[in-house]
Amino acid sequence: MSEWKPKIVAFLCNWCSYGAADLAGVSRMEYPPYIRVIRIPCAGRMDPKFALAALREGADGVWVSG
Amino acid sequence: MVTFKLNGKTVQGDEGQYILQVAEKYGVDIPTLCHHKALEPAGMCRLCTVELFDGRRTRFVTACNYPIWEGMEVSTDSEMVHDGRKLIVEMLLSRCPEVPLIQNLAQGYGISEPRFKKEEDTCILCGLCTRVCERMGANAISLTGRGVEMKVDTPFGLNTEACLACGACASVCPTGHITLERVNQKHARIAAGLIPSEYDVGLNGRKAVYVPYAQAVPNTPVIDRDVCMHFKTGGCEICAEFCGVDAIDYTMEDEIVELDVGSIILAPGFEPFDPSAFDSYNYINHANVITSMEMERILSASGPFEGHLIRPSDHKEPKKIAWFQCVGSRDVNRCDNSYCSSVCCMYAIKEAVITKEHAGDDVDCAIFFMDMRTHGKDFERFYDKAREKEGVRFIRSRVHTIDSIPGSDDLSLKYVLDDGQMVTETFDMVVLSVGLQTPPEVVELAKKLDIELTAGNFCKTPTFDPVVTSRPGIFVCGAFQGPKDIPQAVVDSSAAAAAAGEILVSARHSNTKEKEVIPETNVINERPRIGVFVCRCGTNIAGVVNVPAVAEYAKSLPYVTYTTDNLYSCSQDTQEVMTAIIKKEKLNRVVVAACTPKTHEPLFQETLVNAGLNKYLFEMCNIRNQDSWVHKTTPDLATEKAKDLVRMAVSKVGLMEPLKETAFEVNQNALIIGGGVAGLTVAKSLGRQGYQTHIVEKGDRLGGQAEKLYRTADGETVKPKLRQLIDEITKNDNITIHLDTELTDVDGFVGNFKSTLSRNGSGNDDETVIEHGVAVIATGGKPYTPSEYHYGEDSRIMTSLMLDQKIMEGDSDLKNLDTAVFIQCVGSRQPDRPYCSRVCCTHSIDSALTLKEMNPDMNIYILYRDIRTYGEREYLYKEARDKGVIFIRYSLDAKPIVEVEDGQLDIELTDPILDRPVKISAGLLCLATAVIPNQDEKLARMFKVSVNDDGFFVERHAKLGPSEFATDGVYLCGLAHYPKPVDESVVQGRAVASRAVTLLAKDKIYTSGQVAETDPAICSACNVCVSVCPYGAPSLTPEDARFFPGTAEINPVLCKGCGLCVASCRSGAIHLKGFDNDQIFAQIFSLDQAVGL
Repeated sequence: MSEWKPKIVAFLCNWCSYGAADLAGVSRMEYPPYIRVIRIPCAGRMDPKFALAALREGADGVWVSG
Repeated sequence: MVTFKLNGKTVQGDEGQYILQVAEKYGVDIPTLCHHKALEPAGMCRLCTVELFDGRRTRFVTACNYPIWEGMEVSTDSEMVHDGRKLIVEMLLSRCPEVPLIQNLAQGYGISEPRFKKEEDTCILCGLCTRVCERMGANAISLTGRGVEMKVDTPFGLNTEACLACGACASVCPTGHITLERVNQKHARIAAGLIPSEYDVGLNGRKAVYVPYAQAVPNTPVIDRDVCMHFKTGGCEICAEFCGVDAIDYTMEDEIVELDVGSIILAPGFEPFDPSAFDSYNYINHANVITSMEMERILSASGPFEGHLIRPSDHKEPKKIAWFQCVGSRDVNRCDNSYCSSVCCMYAIKEAVITKEHAGDDVDCAIFFMDMRTHGKDFERFYDKAREKEGVRFIRSRVHTIDSIPGSDDLSLKYVLDDGQMVTETFDMVVLSVGLQTPPEVVELAKKLDIELTAGNFCKTPTFDPVVTSRPGIFVCGAFQGPKDIPQAVVDSSAAAAAAGEILVSARHSNTKEKEVIPETNVINERPRIGVFVCRCGTNIAGVVNVPAVAEYAKSLPYVTYTTDNLYSCSQDTQEVMTAIIKKEKLNRVVVAACTPKTHEPLFQETLVNAGLNKYLFEMCNIRNQDSWVHKTTPDLATEKAKDLVRMAVSKVGLMEPLKETAFEVNQNALIIGGGVAGLTVAKSLGRQGYQTHIVEKGDRLGGQAEKLYRTADGETVKPKLRQLIDEITKNDNITIHLDTELTDVDGFVGNFKSTLSRNGSGNDDETVIEHGVAVIATGGKPYTPSEYHYGEDSRIMTSLMLDQKIMEGDSDLKNLDTAVFIQCVGSRQPDRPYCSRVCCTHSIDSALTLKEMNPDMNIYILYRDIRTYGEREYLYKEARDKGVIFIRYSLDAKPIVEVEDGQLDIELTDPILDRPVKISAGLLCLATAVIPNQDEKLARMFKVSVNDDGFFVERHAKLGPSEFATDGVYLCGLAHYPKPVDESVVQGRAVASRAVTLLAKDKIYTSGQVAETDPAICSACNVCVSVCPYGAPSLTPEDARFFPGTAEINPVLCKGCGLCVASCRSGAIHLKGFDNDQIFAQIFSLDQAVGL
């Protein structure tokens, strides 16, 4: 069996975590390519429905960071 | 176009291309050792051998230098090819059995031992070095000898001056046969080595074409003409060949540009002190003695070791690190920089704390210091935390000897403790906390400009005009004005801008160029026509992500009518092309797949505006920072991710609507709360620049605490200067002064405040309402009233300001004093008030000097914890010691004991050096009391600004926004921000004026279009949005409103677009434009096809 590769949908705050994800790129860090980022204006924008919808679409995990 | 078959697939290439180039384009891997894209192929290693069928027969050719032709059939991985390659590899392995590259290659072909006799060579005679040497124009080496004698060498095998030690041969050598050491030994007569990277302070090399550092502005590569081979030989030109936009012009010359200006601001900065001259520190001789700048780079994720903490000599992780303070500062014996560099204590603590963060708690960090100077805002807390929680060791001692330990790379330090005990300790690494100094070329510049310098070679400026040089019209800011940290430099720079603005006020707007406004196309009710631009970013994206495939994929997405890929989407020419495409293709939505919206969204939005589109009909997707740069080892998955991101962006952009940015007028008046030096300076600057300014002062006179000060650290008497300032304020018609007045209510927002002022003590309710665009909080501070040391019980015990008062009154008792004692840190730097009051050390020392002037025989004692005479204030400390003022240190847990008995005033404490109790009978005891803020919670609430634990107002950003609040249009300065001396209050006041003018100079400002909006028909008037909004943007309409009474509405001016109200709205009545539910759901729903999702 091949290794399980969890697919993550990330909702990142524009002002902090999204910037941090950019910085990870600038610093040429590496992480698994199974993450899809949705930029939101603030973690306060996060709606439980977004997390549920992402899970329903097949995501293995939802990451909200802000 | 030439069409042929590659491994059975039909492929195309350009006439003149070689098989290898076409194979590379189609992602077919052909191994090669002697190929380099910048050099003519030579077919030397034979590894790229492929099978060619010409219609009649099959033969073997080398793919790197065999040109393609119509109809040929190539197979790169047939059994015959494989066998052939295996033999080549086997022979290479027998020639170079120890080269890892060849070993790996052999392993891939299943060869463990060659069948042929093994040799001991490391060169495979691929000729890359000789070809690159020729291309460099040096022609120093070539393949010499014949047959088995063949080798890479210089003529006659001698070191030659033809070799310019450029190192190109070493950089292309695939096996590691040629190294810089070898070039030095066998080829060159001059030394070859890395070009030291200025940014990594020589810890790393850089190229001759380079971007100084990743965040450099402009982020454009430069050619170092001193080392570039082209400028030595006329050869190379590889960069020009590979630059896709023909940006390289070797004939460019330095230009002299003449500018006609009304004012000059000097911001030349500092240079770190070079400790090479100090033999005692062993900096030159020992690799593990480094400067703090080198430590910064070692700790940085973008540094030479990518943030991994290792020491330079052997790349071992250090377990014990020592920092030495005051290297090149506070030293009259060796370097003559007798001033304090102000910033080193703090940066050393920061480096020690980061070291522990990087390498774990078991790293021992020891800081050797004389006085710990953490006098900045929140710095003392950081020091306390480093000492008590992080376990950083602070040792008050100057290390006198650093010895290398034979047979190891460690260092042995010898130092003496307070009690005279000599300690020898071994450390893995020593960091020298080097000071700041003015570079010689800046001293030269100052001479040229004819401006005066101080004894420490900093720009001389008066206390009441700290950014003004001795030459009218020339201003200064930053470390050239005096050693200082970032917030102080930021304050300075704003102040210098205001100073220039004051004298240039008549010229304001005279050179402004109006921007041409392109009329906006109405796209409402149009079917979406989406254009997708996929950026290659040179090779930044295209090196990993298959950009053409992503662009091709985008074509298949709904509503996409145009796709293309750009080499650099952000370049000026591409912008123009994009504008033309948007117009020609009648695009009404645009997606750019490139870098990050955080840096480039505004640029592309500008492109939309130039093409007549509303700037919100745009979505950016991040396929560089969050894709190609982080997934470089999995290009296929990175390409899939890019496609997903493009699909998500396309689904969202289709739902984007044109948004309106609300414009509103900016009221041109300013309101300043507080009539102290800081507030007065704001008024002076704004008044001079022609803005109507109101000063609201609670008390009955202007001047604040400065009224009570005798003189400044520069020796300027405060009173006359303060009079002069108040005089100018009073005479300026633009400035209205409201004495005995308080602010009772504030309404409105940036550009449109409405404040109610109420006169107290006048008997009648005298209320005035003032409309203003900006507000300044300069409410000041006051001295702490001590409850300790018998203060208030004896007239001989007084605070610093009371002593100033006596000096100003010319009290004759002072000069007859026999003994005076000063106690420092009264109420400061202790658990209930854990901050340093910044001004008291200098103040006490200056007062002591004044007393010494009156009576040189007076015995003066200053009881202190750390003397914090930062910057050039250090001279006063030295002068006081020279004049016989005695400094005795005490600690927080053993404060001096004051006794008043039988008319005797006695102070007792233990001298840490003598380790003995000392008793001083004094005629005067001056308490250097803490500076405490005039706390005003109500004011903070009215302007929605915050106050920290110590009662000082909290600025927008501790480093980059020190004079403004997070609330737009509200600014702060003076003691309300943090304790500071007169010059720093003045400079911050002027900085505030500068920040305020950036707003006042606009007639109109625009809100963002991405704000929340309510749908009153659905609103259930639950009030949740009103209560959750941190900005106070939502409110309920009045109950008697004509439409939808009592429902929520959102003021777009106050809304920051965070969406908190949207997520909290239980009725679903709030929409966040640009990030609305349908738009985010569109992105989520596009996930279904994502890799494996």
